[in-house]
Amino acid sequence: MPELKHGFKIDTAKCVGRMHCMRACPTHAIRVKDGKAHLIPELCIDCGSCLGVCPSKAISATTITLAELDRFKFKVAVASPALFTQFGLGDTPAQVGRALLDLGFDAVWEYAVDIELVDRAITDCVKKWPGPFPLISDSCPVIVRLIQVAYPSMVEQIIPIEVPREIAGREVKRRYSQELGLRPEEIAAIYITPCQAKSISILQPAEESKSYLDGAVGISEIYNDVLYRLRKSTAKLKSDTQEGLMDSGELFHWGNPEGEFPNLSREHYLPLIGLTDIIKVFDDIERGRLTNIEFLECHACQGGCNGGNLTIENLYVARSKNLHLKANMPKPPLEFEREVARRYGSEDFSLRGSVKPRSLAKDVVDLRARVMRRKRAEEILKGLPLLNCGLCGAPSCKDHADDVALARSEISDCVFLSKARIDLLRKIYKKGPRASKG
Amino acid sequence: MAAELLRESFQIQGRNFDKAGEISSEIKVILKDLDIDAACLRRVVIVAFEAEMNVVMYADRGTLTLILTDQDICLDVKDEGPGIPDIDLAMKEGYSTASDEMREMGFGFGMGLPNMKKNSDDFCIESAVGKGTSVFARVRLDSHA
Ligand SMILES: Nc1ncnc2c1ncn2[C@@H]1O[C@H](COP(=O)(O)OP(=O)(O)OP(=O)(O)O)[C@@H](O)[C@H]1O
Ligand code: SF4
Ligand SMILES: [Mg+2]
Repeated sequence: MPELKHGFKIDTAKCVGRMHCMRACPTHAIRVKDGKAHLIPELCIDCGSCLGVCPSKAISATTITLAELDRFKFKVAVASPALFTQFGLGDTPAQVGRALLDLGFDAVWEYAVDIELVDRAITDCVKKWPGPFPLISDSCPVIVRLIQVAYPSMVEQIIPIEVPREIAGREVKRRYSQELGLRPEEIAAIYITPCQAKSISILQPAEESKSYLDGAVGISEIYNDVLYRLRKSTAKLKSDTQEGLMDSGELFHWGNPEGEFPNLSREHYLPLIGLTDIIKVFDDIERGRLTNIEFLECHACQGGCNGGNLTIENLYVARSKNLHLKANMPKPPLEFEREVARRYGSEDFSLRGSVKPRSLAKDVVDLRARVMRRKRAEEILKGLPLLNCGLCGAPSCKDHADDVALARSEISDCVFLSKARIDLLRKIYKKGPRASKG
Repeated sequence: MAAELLRESFQIQGRNFDKAGEISSEIKVILKDLDIDAACLRRVVIVAFEAEMNVVMYADRGTLTLILTDQDICLDVKDEGPGIPDIDLAMKEGYSTASDEMREMGFGFGMGLPNMKKNSDDFCIESAVGKGTSVFARVRLDSHA
């Protein structure tokens, strides 16, 4: 397996080891040894739960900056529908699009078409699928990675259809290389992303293919620049030249937590949001329940992509903006329908490559050795206090026992087993009531 | 001869819906820890869950034993309870004596036993009316369903 890349980095200089991230991580992928947080890469699913909880702001998303795009001859923005929910009620998607052009993009992609295409491809796939059910959406990279790590037996239920952003990337390259006579690698297809998870899915797709997109810029990265341009008189901005489908309300439904699949019957289709709830439902699926549901649309973030960790606007405000946009959604123009029909007939939407379970055992040992290791971990756990205090540097006593059995840690890291550990921690965390007294 | 590597038993409380599913979850955790092949894990978890639920729904108490050898995973489930008068009938898809209350909770489709059989390489069930039921299922480690 190639080295796993992740969507954020921990700045060890800023990290003071307060363990918020370790406690927030749903897959127990973080350890805080010697006062510094670090990651166990094979367990991380890029959900970003750690990002928001760090009191020292030591964890940041690795997206790209606009300056990095200068090496391309033609830059195209593929904007997540979540972007359009971030500004005022009066700011139309077309105005936001124009601000992107002013920011330096050469074109803003009519992403609604790709969303509609994938919507259809999903509907067709669900109808023809022989089972097992339910199929699970692949648009949220956190969900795909959660399945790879924690629900390996469900990988075959990830819908084998490309996500809309990839379909967009492919068409961006095709269209503009043809129109402008450029080589595909001279054209940048850049996704404007609500989360670092999608940027990592571009850097390293779970299905082990190569992304059609060239990178992702976080919404938070461009937010101020866009807002500034929206508040300036828009008349002065470069170009009302790009006339197109940007006003079409079809732009929005993918980012909605209850993203609609008009052709799937309500009772066989379930939208799910929030990792905690999704984990509960996945547990049930793994036990063989819920087979009467055909398709689950899953978004890891509470509130769906409008609440992604690189968005700025308060989720509820964003949601109200989303509803507002939907309510005022114009009927899709004729050329939208025509474009969808044209492309649907000529493109292949099936997922390139396949998603496989992530192998968690770093060393390859046989079953007998793995059983021995498990028994050892159980023995070790019996000697631990089950307080899950985290002072050993693992999020729970069980994790510490597993770490020791895997030779990732020393059993004496538990403060109940070694005074040396307490002394060390005292040195590392020397601030606090004791110090302030003196 | 298969060499036994691991054996663990779990108590199941009859009629305790609060805890229903906990044992099959625990089994999943164990098998995942052991990096058991995904297809095989899935089959074992389905069998374990349906077996656990049947004890919860119909019996007074029971024991589920997980036995791992270098060739297969076996589940041995024994309960004390009313037993099953007609096993052939109980094995039919759609046959169920579940109460309305159980159906409201999403059980009682009469699919549990048929699914257990479908997901195991060997399956046998014995029952004595008024005493209890025992189910034995074997899933081979190299089985790819
Ligand atoms: N352990 C048991 N003790 C007594 N009766 C049982 C037991 N297991 C199954 N039965 C009987 O066999 C019937 C069929 O069982 P099965 O598991 O196939 O379906 P179900 O439990 O009724 O529904 P489902 O499993 O789909 O929720 C049950 O309704 C019950 O009458
Ligand atoms: S729900 Fe959306 S914003 Fe959140 S991680 Fe998934 S894809 Fe990103
Ligand atoms: Mg049953």
